[in-house]
Amino acid sequence: MIWTLLKKEFLDIARDRRTLIMSLGIPMLVFPVMMIVMDKVTASTKKTASEKILNVALVTHGGAEEFRRMLLKEGVLLTKKGSIKVQEDISLEEGRRLIEADSLDALVYFDPEFDRLLSARLPGRVSVYFKKTTDVGRVESGRIVDLLEDYESRLYDRRIAELGLDPVTTLQPVEINKFNLASEKEQFASVVGRILPYMFIVFAIMGVMHPATDLAAGEKERGTLETLFTTPATRLQILFAKFVVVVTSGLMSALVTMGSLYIGLQFMGRKTGQIDKAIGSILEPTTIIAVIALLIPVTIFFAAVALAISVYAKSFKEAQSLLAPLMMVVILPLAISLMPGFALTTKTALIPIMNVSLSIRAIIAGTAQPFHLVLVYGSLTGLALMGLFLCSKMFNRESAVFRS
Amino acid sequence: MIEIRDLYKSFKLSKQQKREIDAGSGDFAHAVAGVSLACQPGRVFSLLGPNGAGKTTIFRMIATLMKPSSGSIEVCGHDTQAEPIEARKQIGFLTGSTKLYDRLTPLEVVKFYADVYGVDRITFERRVDELFTTLDMNDFAKKRIGKLSTGMTQKVSIARTMIHDPAVVVFDEPTNGLDVITSRTIIDMIRRCRDEGKTVIFSTHIMGEVNLLSDDLAIIHRGKLCFNGTYAAFKEDSQSESLEQEFIRHLEEAA
Repeated sequence: MIWTLLKKEFLDIARDRRTLIMSLGIPMLVFPVMMIVMDKVTASTKKTASEKILNVALVTHGGAEEFRRMLLKEGVLLTKKGSIKVQEDISLEEGRRLIEADSLDALVYFDPEFDRLLSARLPGRVSVYFKKTTDVGRVESGRIVDLLEDYESRLYDRRIAELGLDPVTTLQPVEINKFNLASEKEQFASVVGRILPYMFIVFAIMGVMHPATDLAAGEKERGTLETLFTTPATRLQILFAKFVVVVTSGLMSALVTMGSLYIGLQFMGRKTGQIDKAIGSILEPTTIIAVIALLIPVTIFFAAVALAISVYAKSFKEAQSLLAPLMMVVILPLAISLMPGFALTTKTALIPIMNVSLSIRAIIAGTAQPFHLVLVYGSLTGLALMGLFLCSKMFNRESAVFRS
Repeated sequence: MIEIRDLYKSFKLSKQQKREIDAGSGDFAHAVAGVSLACQPGRVFSLLGPNGAGKTTIFRMIATLMKPSSGSIEVCGHDTQAEPIEARKQIGFLTGSTKLYDRLTPLEVVKFYADVYGVDRITFERRVDELFTTLDMNDFAKKRIGKLSTGMTQKVSIARTMIHDPAVVVFDEPTNGLDVITSRTIIDMIRRCRDEGKTVIFSTHIMGEVNLLSDDLAIIHRGKLCFNGTYAAFKEDSQSESLEQEFIRHLEEAA
């Protein structure tokens, strides 16, 4: 009986394009597409900003000649890649107005006392005005600031030399050596381990929501559930078949996300040539098994809650609107787990969703304690059983099944 | 055989429902109140009544979709509450509003129901051949149901209702919204069921169908029976010029 019901449910859902897109299509494409797009957009933005001819106004009051020469030289040297066009006959007020009107990219203003202060070995004041509202603006202003820092560095070296001191020993009274004993895997996990659980959990929910809506509220709306209830199949058997399909869809979605991530990271790894080893370390069979072992109970819980809500809903639309807040309920503990200072402890191991996120991070970093993992697994299994109980209760409730 | 004894079904009303009905209706609505009737094998039992009279609730209780608040129903000797699965094995249940799995083909749907009812492969092949030929379904047996017309879909519904050769058939407004030709197919199927000795209970709002099919008849109004007897007796005792008028007269007397 179960096998017959399962076969029908799988066949029915496998022919549902929306489920295939939501559970497999989007998770499959998300990481490769996201990484390729991000890579292209970042490169393009940087290129645009670095190659753009910058309109810079320079006010020196006849001083800062060295910087003036540097700025003009920079403009000439960078002609091929994009240069700096310098405008000198301008006041501070006029320059600020032009920047605000987007007619000028930056204004470098040297204090009238700049040269005198410099000669007295005091700090000469220079101000840079720019409008930084976009990433392009950040790169543009960076080009001018880099040039000023270069100028400052030259003045610095010159002062130290004039004093007859060695620039290296004078400027470095203390030699600080930092040794990060965290393994490459741990360091990588601290970054990737925050994003991965989020993606796995979100896609597990996405994989669960559509089939749960279709197989319960959808069937109710279409009138097929009522017919199914008149057959010798018990409600528990019918529920079990639907449940297995929904859980499978959620897990498939999470696993496909994992595969998609691997492909995406391979792409990035080839580009940067740095993270291949780290990718290899997080995709070790033991890590994958441990992550899947955590995803199973949490997906069972999501599936049970989503099915229970879907059974209660009058229609497909109502089920969708009732299920939307579930995503919010999940995202909140997930977001908290991403905050600094949160780690897998005896307490956090008992907080649903957050415990999954923190455990996956710990597993990837290789720092997970078996006792904590047992706690996490135990609490999730308890939650999954509660969800299943709620779902079976709802499925047996006449008022829920025939709610209209 | 279906035997219904002193059947009651009450639903708890929400606050809004209580306001909508009337102030003095209490916490419960009584959809079925003290109904007793018997449907015999080889006879067609017509259950008539206006919308909301309690017909569908009775059918749902026969099919074990709902539990009676009190009273009992036996289907082929199986109490629907004590042995629901045994009772369900004997029933073929079809409503006018029932739809099918749009993404499956008629053959897949019928096979699924045959498997659920435990029909063996040889019997299935014989029954499918018989039903698909009788209902003229072979041309669209492998097309997705979502692409079929309402009439074709209802034929598939009949095939899935009959695939396990049920002893009791429950038809709740089976011709609702169908064209004349498809309605005729269903009427023929009901007659065939009677000829094969099955117990048939059906509801309709079309008096012509009642006249064509009924052996026994009951009229239900606000959950209570206001007539229960043979169709011959109904006609014989009629005080009106037409079936419709006699039906309305019974309802008015009960009100």
